[in-house]
Amino acid sequence: MKKYLAYVLTVMTLVILGLAFNTAAEEGITDTEIHIGQWGPQTGPAAPWGAVARGTDAYFKMINEDGGIHGRKLVLHYFDDGYNPAKTMAGVKQLQEEIGMFAWVGGVGTAPGLAVKDYIMDKKIPWIGPSAGSRHWIDPPSKYLFNTYPLYLGDAQLLCKYAVETLGLKRIAIAFQNDDYGKQGLEGARKQLAKSGLKLVTEIPVNVADVDMKPHIMKFRKAKADAVLLFVGPGHVARLQGTGKAMQFTPQWMTASTCGDHPLMMAITKGLYAGTISSTFGMMDPKQVGIGNKEVSQTPSLPLLAKYKKDAYGKFAAKEERWGMTFSTGMGLVEPFVEAAKRCGRELTREKLVAELEKIQNFNGIMGTVNYAPFDPKDPRCRIGQQEVFLLRAEADGSSTILTDWYQTEFIPMEH
Amino acid sequence: MVDFLQMVLSGIAVGSSYALMGLGMVLIYKASKVPNFVQGEMALLPVFISFMLLSTYKIPYYIAFPATLIFAFFLGCFLEFAILRRAKAPNILGLIIITIGMEMMLLGFVSWKFGASQRAMPFPISSYDSIMIGDIFISSLDMLTLVVALVIMLGLFLFFRFSKMGVAMKATQMNENAAALMGIKTKQIRMVTWGISAMVGAVAGLLIAPVLVEPYMMWDPMLKGFAGAVVGGMTSLPGAVFGAYIVGITEHLFGGYISIEFKSVVAFVIIVIVLCIKPSGLFARHYVKKV
Repeated sequence: MKKYLAYVLTVMTLVILGLAFNTAAEEGITDTEIHIGQWGPQTGPAAPWGAVARGTDAYFKMINEDGGIHGRKLVLHYFDDGYNPAKTMAGVKQLQEEIGMFAWVGGVGTAPGLAVKDYIMDKKIPWIGPSAGSRHWIDPPSKYLFNTYPLYLGDAQLLCKYAVETLGLKRIAIAFQNDDYGKQGLEGARKQLAKSGLKLVTEIPVNVADVDMKPHIMKFRKAKADAVLLFVGPGHVARLQGTGKAMQFTPQWMTASTCGDHPLMMAITKGLYAGTISSTFGMMDPKQVGIGNKEVSQTPSLPLLAKYKKDAYGKFAAKEERWGMTFSTGMGLVEPFVEAAKRCGRELTREKLVAELEKIQNFNGIMGTVNYAPFDPKDPRCRIGQQEVFLLRAEADGSSTILTDWYQTEFIPMEH
Repeated sequence: MVDFLQMVLSGIAVGSSYALMGLGMVLIYKASKVPNFVQGEMALLPVFISFMLLSTYKIPYYIAFPATLIFAFFLGCFLEFAILRRAKAPNILGLIIITIGMEMMLLGFVSWKFGASQRAMPFPISSYDSIMIGDIFISSLDMLTLVVALVIMLGLFLFFRFSKMGVAMKATQMNENAAALMGIKTKQIRMVTWGISAMVGAVAGLLIAPVLVEPYMMWDPMLKGFAGAVVGGMTSLPGAVFGAYIVGITEHLFGGYISIEFKSVVAFVIIVIVLCIKPSGLFARHYVKKV
């Protein structure tokens, strides 16, 4: 009996000690590794955006090659959610509960992100740089969620301002994807035009499954739009511009940053994208290149981006991977995370990471300037990250002409 | 009035590609008694093969397109011979599940082999040029699709009416046992029907591809073609064509006058209405089986 009791006590002591060690060690951190999670569509209609996760992966591998973060390697666990929120939730839960992620980074799409936001926040896990310019990430703000991607509301503001004030266009219309992404573009455009006493001449929703764009173009023609904002995906831009050309409707097309990969857009529109104005959030600096000058994405002028292209893309991307805006966005979105993790030193914990992120001010990587502030539940701007964007015009040779300097967008709070 | 005519013409233009998909589905439904959910992917894979021949190997159109159609024919035959025929005494539900499984296999293969990126397909005519009839526009590609659809319909009519193979197909579709007793190789006929259906689908795919090539490009035309086939009656080839045009025109009129937002679901509302009023479809003949 005594022997049996001794066994039980020994086992109980080991269990208690084990639990004690587990609670002491930060989840997702070992002596040699930091485990980070990310999702992104590698299959399905949104698969072109899967390059974001692959960009992050190559970037982390480049950091690991340089010695990692204070001796620890970054291990990125990314999975294919097919842009399906149910799959996002299942994948996030599986990785978090079976392996244990220290933090989450990136993650393409508003709907997939919204599906897991509460789960990640309830567990007090930091999530940095969702790959969508949605206001939901910051309004209301969450202590552990740090936005990097400029909001779509801001894209619409600058596009409308440029159309009205610089191009002198008054009849602005919009085609918006019938979801959170498109509707935020719509809201931003309405509010910006109202400042000039204007209204959108027509607002046309586009469903993700829509293929035939003739009715949409007919509405634009009927409204006599002289500029059309496109808050839709790259495929719909190609269809709208193609149908527009066939129906002899050629306004000034303007797109959100989601269609800012000019070589890709030129290829899929068979050159119709030339002359289109798009907003963008980085990968070049208007101050350095100069307004009116051209940038070619294959030869980045930004020294840091050139380094990423050589050391991350050149060494770690798959052979068939294409260098472009989407791929490099996967790097830019997570730069603040890497910076904060470095500042934490060897004693990396989630709370310390959050504290260091909150101290980030005027941080410049390959995107615009990123600013965070100590958590204030009443101020979404404490988690907004980047608020500045600028405009580019796509040229026929695949290059991009810089049209404006950085523009500080105005945050429009959600109407609760 | 100009707007109305433009919408009708645009509806006819888009209805032509639905009609080709619908024709392919009806051919198979008549032969195998199954709504064929792999119809879109039977067109998708040949389109990507064509894209590869044109873009990677720089093969001229006059070789690449016929080669694509021959590939589509053998793909259809292969699917029937290697997969569908192997099913042991399947019921309709089992057959439907097999076609959905084949659809997933082919879609997965295309995504794996060619990637998920969106691409532009080289094509002999510009997909963005248009022809003007008064104040009404029709794109050159839509015009070509319309003409090709009419030629294929006429070709199928003549094939079923006058060719030995076509008559054998009709006989097999009407009564397989009787056809077999008359010496017709019914299994072979069914396989060839799948091949022809895949070819018709591939023609639709090649006419849709110049706008954008991507793995999910055939999903919408397949659903709309299916809707057209159901409206017309799943056993009627002319019915599938008229059904597809009804779907195309109604979609455009609804989008133009009522709501663009719900344009895409109109096809399925039409299905429900037709099935409630005339369950066999608008053009199918009723027949009663004696027990």
